[in-house]
Formats: sequence, structure tokens, C-alpha cells
Amino acid sequence: MSRAGAPGAADSPAARRRARRLLRWYPPSWRRRYGDEFAELLLAEMAEQPSSHRRTVNVIGNGLLARLTEAGLTSHDLPQADQMRAALATLGCALAAFGAFAVAMLAQLATGWQWTSPQSGSATAGTLILAAAVACLALIGAVAVIPVAWLTARAIAAGQARLVRPAALAGVSTAVLVVGTRHFQNGWPGTGGTGAHHVVVPGGLAAFAWASTLSVSSYWVHPGLLAQFPLPEVAWMAASPLALAGVAAGLVMVVRRLDVPARLLRYLTLLALAASLVAVPVLVGAASWVLGHGPGQAGLFRPGLVNGAGLVIMATALVVALRAASGVLRARQSVSAPPAPSP
Amino acid sequence: MQHGPLVTFGRYAGPATLILSSLADGAKHGYALTKDIEQFAAVRLAPGTLYEALSRLEGQGLIVAVPSDDRRRPYQLTAAGAQALRAHLADQRRVAEVGLRRLSKTWGSA
Repeated sequence: MSRAGAPGAADSPAARRRARRLLRWYPPSWRRRYGDEFAELLLAEMAEQPSSHRRTVNVIGNGLLARLTEAGLTSHDLPQADQMRAALATLGCALAAFGAFAVAMLAQLATGWQWTSPQSGSATAGTLILAAAVACLALIGAVAVIPVAWLTARAIAAGQARLVRPAALAGVSTAVLVVGTRHFQNGWPGTGGTGAHHVVVPGGLAAFAWASTLSVSSYWVHPGLLAQFPLPEVAWMAASPLALAGVAAGLVMVVRRLDVPARLLRYLTLLALAASLVAVPVLVGAASWVLGHGPGQAGLFRPGLVNGAGLVIMATALVVALRAASGVLRARQSVSAPPAPSP
Repeated sequence: MQHGPLVTFGRYAGPATLILSSLADGAKHGYALTKDIEQFAAVRLAPGTLYEALSRLEGQGLIVAVPSDDRRRPYQLTAAGAQALRAHLADQRRVAEVGLRRLSKTWGSA
């Protein structure tokens, strides 16, 4: 079969470079399957029409669509097990981002409670709902990670080398996060409170939550004030989100590469759906505090700009998580559906 | 009206129908598909659209890649693809017939 009507000029190094650049918009798995033939098509198209904005926009748009598909965020069916894994990974990332901001809000409220009782019903309700729901989320996260970690360790011991790097990334990032948080939690502002009559989060946990989410701060938009902070603290504010991203990225890659037994996949699916549902009251609790607190009220419970921004990010992350959860459900239904009768 | 697999393709149903129609007379690779479709339908499928539709058709088992030493991999219709195309075109023909009949009744023949 010949490249009908495609002049040989298409094979120039410059054209090949352009084709390779365009291909990068697609995810690696797509490139592995279709990359060579798609590059040939692009070269043939470029030979016929060297420059085309319409073609560039079309390739970029479809490349991004392929990435969303791989993440389980479109209705386009991947192989069922891959779709479920992809949707689970996306859901995990969205919930990690959601959880980071939820914990930051809870830490701020818990610190306030160490010193005094909140004067508004919205802050009280928000704190209680947030504390209960975040505890549920943490529990779900723990019971999800334990079997995956065990299975990963066994797979690595059995010689599955492709799991070593993502597992190491997740492990090292977790260690950095824990060690750094333990170090910086000594500076917790809740220590020394005199009116600690309404402790909703135990002091150690509140301090840990505070130190692990120091990066969620409005000081980023006040460089003058930030410059007065001790350098190690500023460095931790920059490094801790990277460590959290490392944990999430490592776990995602592990779940994508691990040969997860169907039973464990079903278990993780149930946990993911439960976590998505629990995230809804977390958002309600956060919104109750941020939106319900009257303007002009000062004090420890006054929500700031960073809390409003956090609320928007949490809402966005929850939409992504719920969309991924529906992808998990779709894949689950197609796995459990009986095969269609042959014509 | 039947609801075949192409109904689930959303905005890619049109490109998918064109690709299946093009493959109905034999295997073709990406560029040959583009040129053939341009010739019989006066539609130029952009590369990203073509391959998105191809990957969906392949995922549904309506087409299959033919083993080839060439980097340009040809695709051919499967039996399921032929059946889906036949059902889809029959639906479209029924719609076209109704539209033409009503046009003719109200507006007269062209």
C-alpha cells in the first residue's frame, strides 16, 4: 500500500520533529499503540499542506481527549480493567487534593478551638462536620493503602521491577512528608492555649494536620511577610506539596502497573465510592464555615481569602472525583454485565 | 429505529460511519482512508478526529488492524463492523426516505 499522493518532502527531519512534537499531546499508552502510524499520517498530511492551524488544534484537542480518556474521565471505553484502574487513580488524585485543603481548613479551625470557643454556629457546625468527615476519609484512605502496599511489596519481591520506581517515589515522599511534618509541628500555634474546653481534634493530630498543610497559606501573596519567616519553614511550605504530589503520583503509577486481583479491585472500588460520598459532607462543612461566617467578624475563626480559594479547589476536585467515580461504576457494570447474545 | 454500537460514538458517529463505509471495499491505512473519504463524501477528516474514531471502532471490535511490516498500519472491517454499518446505513436510509417523501409531497419534485 503506498502513501497515495504524499510527496517525499514529508520525510524531512523538520517534518518528523513537528510530528513528534504533536504526538506528545497524546498519553504514552496511546503513543505506544498508534504513535508510529499516526506520525506517518501527519507526515503525509504535512507533505500535502505544510502548515495548518486547524490540523494542529485538532491534534491537540484529540490528544487531550485521549489523556482524559486514559484518566477515566470520558465515557469512551478503555479495556474494562484499565478503565477501572484509570478512574480509580484519577479519583485518588482528586481526593488527595481535596483532602489536603480539607485538612488545612480543619487544622485552622482546630487551632482556634484550642484557644477559645467559636462565636458562630457556622464555625461550630463546620468544624464538627469537617472533623467527622475528614476522620472517615483518613480511615478509608488507610484501609485502601494497606492491601495495595502489601501486594506491591510481594510483587516487587517476586521480581516485578517496573513497580520499584513508583513504589520508591511513594515511599520516599511519604517519609519526607512524615519526617518534615513531625519536625515542624513543634511550632504549632495551638500549644499553650488556655481555653481548651472544646477540643474536637486531639492536640497531636491538630499539630500534625497544621504542619502538613503549612503550604495552604495566604502568605504566598504577601512576599514581604513571608520573607520574615525562618528560611526552613518557607522551604517546608514549598517542599511539602511536592512531597504530597510525590505520594499521589507514586500510588497512581503503582495502581496502574500493579496486577490487581479482581477481588481487590472490587474492594478498592467500594472504598473509592464511599470516599466520594464522604467528601460531600466535608465540602458542606467547609462551605458552612467559609460562607456562613458573617463579614467583618475578626478572630481565630474568621475565614480568609485562602479559605475561599480552598473551597473552590475542593469543589472542583470533588466534581472530578465524582466524575471519576461514575467512570468506576460504568466499568464495574460492564464487568458484571452478562455478555450480549450473538446475532 | 435500531440503536447500534455507533449510537454511543456521540460526535464521532459521523466520522465512524465514513470510516466503516470506506473500509467496506477493503483494508486501508490512515492516509488512504482520508483520501478515499474526501473523494466519496467530500469531507476531509482531520488526523486527530480520524484516529480518535479509529481507536473507538477498534475498541468496539468493529474494525481490526491488519498485521503489516509498514509503519502505516492498515485496518479492515470485522463481521461485527459490517453488521453495525449495515444497520446504521439502513436507519439513515429510512430517515432520508421519509424526508424526501415529505419534501416531495409538500414542495414537489426538484
